[in-house]
Amino acid sequence: MTEKEIAFIGRITAGVTHEVNNVLASIREISGLLSDILSITSEESFTRKEKFETSIQKIQNQEKRGVKLINQLNKFAHLPDVSSTETDLNELIEHLIFLTERFGRIKNIKLHTQPSGQSVKVITNPFYLQMALYNCIEYFLRKLDAGGMIVINPDIRKNEYSISINAEGGLPENSTLFKDASSEELLNLNKITTSLGAILEFDDSIPGIRIIFPINA
Amino acid sequence: MSEINVLIVDDEEELVSTLAERLSLRDIRAQTATDGEVALKMIEKEPPDVVLLDVMMPGLGGLEIMKRINAMDLNIPVILLTGYGSTEQSNEGMNLGAYDYVLKPCDFGGLVAKIHEAVQSKQK
Repeated sequence: MTEKEIAFIGRITAGVTHEVNNVLASIREISGLLSDILSITSEESFTRKEKFETSIQKIQNQEKRGVKLINQLNKFAHLPDVSSTETDLNELIEHLIFLTERFGRIKNIKLHTQPSGQSVKVITNPFYLQMALYNCIEYFLRKLDAGGMIVINPDIRKNEYSISINAEGGLPENSTLFKDASSEELLNLNKITTSLGAILEFDDSIPGIRIIFPINA
Repeated sequence: MSEINVLIVDDEEELVSTLAERLSLRDIRAQTATDGEVALKMIEKEPPDVVLLDVMMPGLGGLEIMKRINAMDLNIPVILLTGYGSTEQSNEGMNLGAYDYVLKPCDFGGLVAKIHEAVQSKQK
């Protein structure tokens, strides 16, 4: 996909998230008004008051869920706005896990991150980095059995920042995870990390993948 | 304390009408406008105590409305209503002298508190 095509999708998506946000804002006020009216209505005059209160609460919970989702989608839609920027790896990973955990849930595989205690910031293209991580997630989701977990953590060492994507459990016995270098996800991953100036490391013993950003690169 | 008069300016009709009803339940009289030009005429005719103003309006945009309110020199606090993609406009609005801004969907309790604060700031 060309940068223009990616920007086009980003802009349209961002525009729609703006509209959906307005819809959610209206739903919040309308359900709020119902709550307000119920709060000044006596039990005697409205026998099903409690049922209505519970139902309004459910609408409000769903509205909050919608706001959270649309916030994250808006953030994602704006990723292609910049080609290179200071990117907080803790935030980027949490954002991607939020957007992709549904894919894991369908296969009963958990996506998890333990943010680094310190800020891990690199100058990179956040859109392509998320795409690289997404390829890792997709690869592990295909290889792991139900009950497994994919752990994505940022790390900072003397001369490098890195992101490790490790599989925990759910791996069939004697599996040769990274032997199939021709898999579409790994080929994509290689291409993207090369364009980002990062280094890829595969470790069958963990098993895991590391995306390394040399500090002086 | 006398009744507070608020003007809500936003092109989302259902949002403004519902907000107005909710505010009225808290003794805040709210009038609404879904168009910038109409809003300015309403302000000229009967200046409200506070204006709630959407930043991203079709036609006459929120910032242009803000500038024209400033030009009227009526000392009306303006609280900006902002959504996605309007952070820059909100900052510009604050630079133009907006009292504060709130993100949509609003925390209603917070919005009511801000309206009261804005009225008090005007009285100082």
